[in-house]
Amino acid sequence: MKISLNWLQDYIDLSGISADEICRAITLLGFEVEQVIRTGAPELKNVVVGEILTRGKHPNADKLSVCTVDVGPEHGGVRTIVCGAPNCDAGNRVPVALPGAIMPGNFEIKLSKIRGQESQGMMCSAKELTISDEAQGLLILADRPAIGTPINQVLPPGDTVLDIEITPNRPDCLSHIGIARELSAWFKKELRYPAVKFEPAHATEARPDLLKSVRVTAPEECPLYTATVITGVKIAPSPAWLQERLRAIGQRPINNVVDISNYVLHEYGQPTHAFDAKKIGGSEIIVRLAAESEKIVTLDGKERTLASNMLVIADAQKSLVVAGVMGGENSGVDDTTTDLVLEVAYFKRQSVRATSRKLGLSSDSSYRYERGVDPHSLEEAGRRAIDLILEIAGGKVAGFTQRIGADVPWQREIVVTPGFINEKLGFTIPEADMKAAFEALELTIVREEPTESRGPAWTVSIPSWRDDLDRPIDLVEEVLRVYGTEKIPASRVLAPGLVGDDDAVVVFNRRVADALVGQRFHECVNYTLRSVRELQAAATPETLSSLALANPFVEDQSHLRPTLVTGLLDTLKLNQSRGVAASRLFETGRIFLERGDQLVECVAVAFVIAENADKRSWLKRELADFYTAKNLVGTLAAAAGIDLSRQPLVAVNDINAFGWQAGHSALAGDIKYGWTTRFGLLDLAAVKAAGVEGKVYAGQFAILPEKLTSAETRRRYQPFSLFPAALRDLALVVDEALPAADVQKTLAKIARAAVGNAFALEGVGVFDVYRGKGLPEGKKSLAFSFTFRAADRTLTDDEVNAVFNKIQDELTKSTPYQIRK
Amino acid sequence: MQDQLSALLAKAQSEFPSLKTRPEFEAAKARFVGPNGELTGLMKQMGSVPKEQKPALGKLINEAKAQLQAHIDATLRRIEAAELQAQLGPAIDPSLPSPDPDFGTYHPLTLVREEMCRILRKVGFTVVEGPEVETEYYCFDALNTPADHPARDAQDTFYLPTNARFGNISKKTPDEKYLLRTHTSSVQIRTMLKGEPPIRIVSPGRVYRRDTTDATHSANFHQLECLYVDKNVTVRDLKALLDYIFASLLGKETKTRFRTHYFGYTEPSFEVDLSAKHLPKVNKEWIEIGGCGMVDPTVFADVGYDPEVWTGYAFGMGLERLAMLLYGIDDIRYFYQNDLRFLRQFA
Repeated sequence: MKISLNWLQDYIDLSGISADEICRAITLLGFEVEQVIRTGAPELKNVVVGEILTRGKHPNADKLSVCTVDVGPEHGGVRTIVCGAPNCDAGNRVPVALPGAIMPGNFEIKLSKIRGQESQGMMCSAKELTISDEAQGLLILADRPAIGTPINQVLPPGDTVLDIEITPNRPDCLSHIGIARELSAWFKKELRYPAVKFEPAHATEARPDLLKSVRVTAPEECPLYTATVITGVKIAPSPAWLQERLRAIGQRPINNVVDISNYVLHEYGQPTHAFDAKKIGGSEIIVRLAAESEKIVTLDGKERTLASNMLVIADAQKSLVVAGVMGGENSGVDDTTTDLVLEVAYFKRQSVRATSRKLGLSSDSSYRYERGVDPHSLEEAGRRAIDLILEIAGGKVAGFTQRIGADVPWQREIVVTPGFINEKLGFTIPEADMKAAFEALELTIVREEPTESRGPAWTVSIPSWRDDLDRPIDLVEEVLRVYGTEKIPASRVLAPGLVGDDDAVVVFNRRVADALVGQRFHECVNYTLRSVRELQAAATPETLSSLALANPFVEDQSHLRPTLVTGLLDTLKLNQSRGVAASRLFETGRIFLERGDQLVECVAVAFVIAENADKRSWLKRELADFYTAKNLVGTLAAAAGIDLSRQPLVAVNDINAFGWQAGHSALAGDIKYGWTTRFGLLDLAAVKAAGVEGKVYAGQFAILPEKLTSAETRRRYQPFSLFPAALRDLALVVDEALPAADVQKTLAKIARAAVGNAFALEGVGVFDVYRGKGLPEGKKSLAFSFTFRAADRTLTDDEVNAVFNKIQDELTKSTPYQIRK
Repeated sequence: MQDQLSALLAKAQSEFPSLKTRPEFEAAKARFVGPNGELTGLMKQMGSVPKEQKPALGKLINEAKAQLQAHIDATLRRIEAAELQAQLGPAIDPSLPSPDPDFGTYHPLTLVREEMCRILRKVGFTVVEGPEVETEYYCFDALNTPADHPARDAQDTFYLPTNARFGNISKKTPDEKYLLRTHTSSVQIRTMLKGEPPIRIVSPGRVYRRDTTDATHSANFHQLECLYVDKNVTVRDLKALLDYIFASLLGKETKTRFRTHYFGYTEPSFEVDLSAKHLPKVNKEWIEIGGCGMVDPTVFADVGYDPEVWTGYAFGMGLERLAMLLYGIDDIRYFYQNDLRFLRQFA
């Protein structure tokens, strides 16, 4: 909302207060000054009135003139100035910027040579003085002010216009009077309301031929409607002062009546509307809900289709105005209007807001109704509009104002004590300052009664425009605002011991980030909302449809992410396309997975390791592989308290594996049981389709946040043997497809049985995998190493061999594995 | 025998220094001192030596034995040293770059979040998290947002379809809609409903607005909110917290300023400005950094805390905005592009 400081001066004396101080006051009172616009000429030193004495041609440039200009004896008398303007004719008085003048745009005038000709200053156009956009020629000072007069004394004074954002709780400040009221409280200056002169007694005889009746059939949406007939007006352009004010706040002057309506809106915050009485069919105004699909062409020339919950002002035949939002094209005042009907009404904010939203149509009027206008200021604003119309456009009020609807009742009192206010603030504001703040805001203390310990109990009467004040706590803010938030005393943070543990999710995220950064990964942050195109490979069509938002904003951010991996691929793509080497990336964040027929929000972490085909190195390193990813995923699972080595891993062999490469990736867990992980090589085709070059290994671990717990069981120490271990190796020929872990498990079981209680099998681990020469088709050889150890002695070869033989016998007997000799 | 010993020592003297490998060494050692070695042979002759000569001869043999051992030890040391030397390649060039990845990095948003959490933990705040998919109750109703408030509009807030079901996000009423939370304040409500006062929490997290992405707006961004509920919490306490946070974060010369403002869930409400001209790319006297206020009694009543007893404050800010200010970043989109040239700057 734009506020002109010149205009404000009508209601409050701000002389001697700079625009900066006013901005600061408005800011601290709780409104944001978004922009400060200065109009007119700024303070210009060394710019004076001069008279052109002679004009000659520039010897070296066709379009330039060389003039002699008298700027007065105190500014150096007659000067020679080179000028490019067409109108630098002798005899003209013009603004002359002398050397040393700083012009708008911070450009300094200096003695200079223009095409070899000395120039001792610059004659100025209106644009150069920033008083208008006129740049065609010099500003001719037709009033012929005295030569040598400082230019600011000649030019009209400028204005400062503030663009202020008003918080939604303060619709009363959407006007010049509203802002003036706030400033009067801040600067402790008197607030002067406009003198309203019109009295109903001044009206002439009623004109039922112009307005027969006013009916309101939707009193819920329109609790109060007033209409006043004014006859014999003359529509003309507004006087200069009115046009200037409207222009200052960015409004285009149209004609006197429309401008007055606009003026009163920005003065009081109360919208009004003037109808041409002749255009009201049947001389009847009906405030009603629109018929479904009723059409109206609004002032902006667009046809609008209305719905049955929208309020309109209509005549006997058609709707004239979308109530509180915008007038119709054919009912407004035009140059031929002589009689008009002035509407001043109170429409319910919810109604105007819904209509404005639905039509996608907003206006200064709807903006104010939506936020709430004060029905109790309605009458005064109406009379102010009538005053201005009679004064500027002439005419007479015919008959009484028709008033439909009851008074909207208003009475509100809040009881508050200084003790309460100080308690909430945590410091003491003197009672006198509190009282002064209330008075300045027209919050009248109507009663004062003593209390036991909290000072006097003030009963504060709340004015009708302050619907936002409802409880004692609301008055705390009012006092503090006016007293000054800058006076809140500094103090230390008091922190009684309430320390709990950080959320388990937070702890998990920290752990995995620390682990991966320690493994030299770079943390990334990608958007949660992804495109269908990107997710196609990562989820089934059914899952995808359940991840869709009801109202996406843009097409490529339409779905919740079921994985972090596609985002990381996107990051790889971006870096590759920019020629930046990127290989090890990770992200933590929420993902959304299907569990049965529901979605669940999961905590997730994912990483990628990309081959950098382009990146050459003087020393070769082994690239990452599936087992690199497996190892990292193990670290991530461990951060959630899950030991992946104890979990069954499933090799992924489906061709359609949601972006993971069949035969080269695996999964473990299931979100049904609270967590899930996938890792290995990303599907080569999917990676290529994502625009990423080279192979990418990846891993993702996801867990339900409620499965994460911060309570850890304390570990117990296990004693270990100080005697040497005995090792035995065994190679087995098994089916190609058989997982090594299955064989290992069988071996461990058999070995443990064979060892019995004699000593301990410390471990069985695979140390070699062989395929090819010497083995039948479809078979592979797995070599295992057994570690035996006793707690109390060094094992002898004999006892170990006995056990080892027993193991081999058992293997031959009970498994299909072949011992490779 | 004396001559034999002398000859043996002379032979050792000439042979051992020329030995190059461990097998040569082992063979030589066996020849001299092994069970069938020459010294052993001589020692076996001791039995046939006359008794009176035995002490002198024994002494000689011992001396010879010691000398041989010295040869053996010296040779072994020499060969071992040579073996170790052989394990080395050519000398390194320390100026060549390592081919391994040089370092990992935390995302700047993580760095800023963690720094804020550390600062707040020092004064007793615990870090909490909550779901990003929320319901109308937790995101709006419980925060005293009027039913027709624009923030609820489908124009400003992302909604899930009415048939969406989330297994681990509780609803207050069965027919309320799921949405993507527009602020982390919903976590405050969940925490207050779950726990009991006093409460002192900080909730960082991702939030969503239906907004055009540009240099300062993003469809999702991150917030951090503090909530403190206790008896007799005052505006002055709130100001003290803000002063503390920003002095810790930006240095003691940093000033904060409160401007009264309007939020539905606090009363009084303030916007917080920072004066920190020493930061890069700061050319305004005051920069808006967040919003705060005293928890509105309505909010307390709604979560079942007696507003006559409990008081509190809340403070919230955008993490991107803070990170931009701290690091002098001028485009919010850089956080989401993850260009390595950007990320590597925050090692």
